[in-house]
Amino acid sequence: MSQFLVKEGVKNQIRQGEKLVTTHCCYCGMQCGMHIRVDEKSNKVVGVEPRYDWVLTKGKMCPKGVTAYQTIDHPDRIKLPLIKKNGKFVESSWEEALDLIERKFKELQEKYGKDTLGVYGGVSMTNEKCYLVGKYARVGLGTRYVDYNGRYCMSSAAGGFNKTLGMDRGSTLPWTELEHSDCFFMSGTNTAECHPTSIQWFWKAKDKGAKIIVADPRETATARIADVHLDLLPGTDTALANGIMHLLIKHDYVDYEYVQERCNNFAELKEVTAKFTPEYTSKLTGVAVEKIIKAAHIFGKSPRSVVMFARGVEQQVSGVDNVSLYTSMALLRGQIGKFASGVATFTGQGNGQGGREHGQKADALPGYRKINDPKHVEYVSGVWGIKPEEMPKEGVSAYEMFGLMENKTIRGMHVICSNPVVSSPNINYVTKAMEGLDFLVVSDFFLSETAELADVVLPATTWAEDEGTTTNIEGRVIRIRKVVEPIGESKPDWEIIKLISERMEKGKYFDYSEPREIFDELRVASKGGKADYFGVTYEKIDEQDGVFWPAPTEDSKGTPSIFQEKFATEDGKANLAVIDYRGPAEVKSKEFPLWLTTGRVVFHYLSGNQTRRVGFLMEQCPEPFVEMHPELASQYQIENGEKVKLSTPRGHMIVPVKITKAIRKDVMFVPYHWGKHQSVNQLTNPALDPTSRMPEFKVCAVKLEKLSK
Amino acid sequence: MNKIMYLEFERCIGCRACQAACRECGDHDAKERNYVEYVDFTESRQTFPMLCMQCKDPACARVCPANAIQITEEGVVLSAMEEKCIGCRNCTFGCPFGIPKFDFEKNKMYKCDMCYDRTREDIAPMCASVCPSDAIRFIDFDEMQQLRRRRTQMNLVEGKKPQEGNKWDYVPEFFGVYTDSQS
Ligand code: SF4
Ligand code: SF4
Repeated sequence: MSQFLVKEGVKNQIRQGEKLVTTHCCYCGMQCGMHIRVDEKSNKVVGVEPRYDWVLTKGKMCPKGVTAYQTIDHPDRIKLPLIKKNGKFVESSWEEALDLIERKFKELQEKYGKDTLGVYGGVSMTNEKCYLVGKYARVGLGTRYVDYNGRYCMSSAAGGFNKTLGMDRGSTLPWTELEHSDCFFMSGTNTAECHPTSIQWFWKAKDKGAKIIVADPRETATARIADVHLDLLPGTDTALANGIMHLLIKHDYVDYEYVQERCNNFAELKEVTAKFTPEYTSKLTGVAVEKIIKAAHIFGKSPRSVVMFARGVEQQVSGVDNVSLYTSMALLRGQIGKFASGVATFTGQGNGQGGREHGQKADALPGYRKINDPKHVEYVSGVWGIKPEEMPKEGVSAYEMFGLMENKTIRGMHVICSNPVVSSPNINYVTKAMEGLDFLVVSDFFLSETAELADVVLPATTWAEDEGTTTNIEGRVIRIRKVVEPIGESKPDWEIIKLISERMEKGKYFDYSEPREIFDELRVASKGGKADYFGVTYEKIDEQDGVFWPAPTEDSKGTPSIFQEKFATEDGKANLAVIDYRGPAEVKSKEFPLWLTTGRVVFHYLSGNQTRRVGFLMEQCPEPFVEMHPELASQYQIENGEKVKLSTPRGHMIVPVKITKAIRKDVMFVPYHWGKHQSVNQLTNPALDPTSRMPEFKVCAVKLEKLSK
Repeated sequence: MNKIMYLEFERCIGCRACQAACRECGDHDAKERNYVEYVDFTESRQTFPMLCMQCKDPACARVCPANAIQITEEGVVLSAMEEKCIGCRNCTFGCPFGIPKFDFEKNKMYKCDMCYDRTREDIAPMCASVCPSDAIRFIDFDEMQQLRRRRTQMNLVEGKKPQEGNKWDYVPEFFGVYTDSQS
């Protein structure tokens, strides 16, 4: 079952009585390579060993990766199904839990129709599982309502890339090329904390003289070493990108040959950007005129540049616009499709890339196919063995599902690999909506805040107890290996899906005995789609250090760099973004006079359900805090460490203060990894981007109050 | 062993992977021996790592009245020997870098030993292995010399020249920690 994989000449420490299993980290999109140490006698996981020869990360890991193995055999693991009886969870057998789920699901569907059930997925799991979640909803349960936590993570990047480039692969180039780039324009990405092991590539490039431009309201670790730090107001990216493009045009940094040959809309873009003079841009963004000019010149002069961004620009009501505009900056410079240059987003979740490609999304089918395209439906129905008319219609986005719970359109729910009552915006509302469900099933391996609300909790396995593939930040499909057998009576999510589908009389569509069979089906289901995995095999992944999709044929080696000749749009040309400035959904007022933004810290991952249970990580960062500038603190007579109250129209929280000059004077920052009264998502604004339906986590107007003694 | 522990403070991003990894080393009893601090969080996010300098003439070993701190033939300064350490904590005060720590339960000093069970087999210590930023490296002596020279080179490429009053900015702010390059 397990394998230890190293290249010739690479030395690892293998202690007596132990073996190593080669895999990747379970957390962020970097998917750092690692070996997990297993005691041969007891078959227990005992630690981690660096995987020096993994091409992208070279043995490096952040503290989450180093301690990831500690979640496997953790005392908090759920080992048996839990059924809520009289408000308390009671351990039960699988038989009893499945009986109850079958009875309730059938009852609800008979009474209220198929669509009364919803499925809420996640992308911190393998491609095999993510693919199956979509099929489970449509075929196993026959409901149209399926969506996933990637809606809060990657949907705006997807929307923007599709609009401009016609296809959504998070990076147009392999990241091993980054060391040869001359300039990085990074916006809304705190990569030192959120994707720490990417830093090695930026340093390699910087050592050779590359320039770094960082746009962020906070002086993050990368902003600190940047050549220019554009300290913009949250929610003003449309203005900044237009302002930079104004200067690229003015100073003749546009690659006219490339633009003429490969892009649409240049004349229109020129017209819209005309008014974005540095002065006007500065007025909107709050960034000094000189900095904008300096950044434009550095970026414009660099022969090879990469424009990069993350949730900072994506989690806004103008998320798709922001992505389109930043991508257009790279297009104006003629960078996409060339060596060591291009555009990339930092994928937040481990399989945020692969998990969004294969039909977990309300409107999507495997291989980036669309559920409202009859041809696509016909193809996928064929693969699944159903009639096209049996395929449910498009559903709604993650946050919109809570509205449907509130109005009783959705009465039953299965949450898989997600913790929406922590990770959604406006969680006071979300929690109420979930509490109002008639029946809630949650699959997880720790009792998350969402699982606490469930009627049945099914014990899932961690990433180390199952095998499969994920697709990393670059679009490289890689292999996750099974390290140990499932702990207790826990089961991998695909098996849970299979068991429930059997109970729903759909067993024949889910007749898998191992993940490889699911992958082989996924390969066919994605064949001919944009995200084409047909040529990816487990063996090929091992042989060539992962396979970049698209890999359309059996003998394809994959496609590390995309868009070299043409874009994936209908006419093969990229669509430059023609978009005017649009501010955030909420404006400051007398009552809520300051800006609040949210994000991650290096020690925690997403809703914290895993990392809040790891000793080292909790020692480093046990609770949320609010970061503010000393000038702001002084105006409110607040001292470092003091607890203050933050409120928005949606909720309030009390948090201790951390004072630092490394943030704008008018912005406060709170990390979001905690639940209930410690959650900043009590405050965040659920305003949605019109295209991607991604909520505006990154900007809201807030009131700060000193607490009376 | 002919390798250098090489620190480049400026690169540190404060992730503390080095600390988490230190606990993972086989002989480390799940206790970290290095530390990472903010220079001044009110001013900026700059952090720096610190680990044992493996001094040629270690203050910790010198002030130990029980001769409990051994130095290996390669020059690695080890944790106090359990049977010899009398728990006087002189070493913790003697070290100018604050490296030796004290285990009050076991009444015994412990410190960074460069992951001796790894490094003696020429495998990088845990901190240097995982540091995402290459702020801590385990490299050959020659590579270190090259890196030091390159810093000056880069300044010249960028057209910077030291002036009276800022010369120190041009001295590489990193330094090597190395054992005897002969062995
Ligand atoms: S969380 Fe991300 S950066 Fe950290 S070790 Fe895991 S994959 Fe690597
Ligand atoms: S691992 Fe490296 S970057 Fe992270 S805190 Fe330690 S020295 Fe700094």
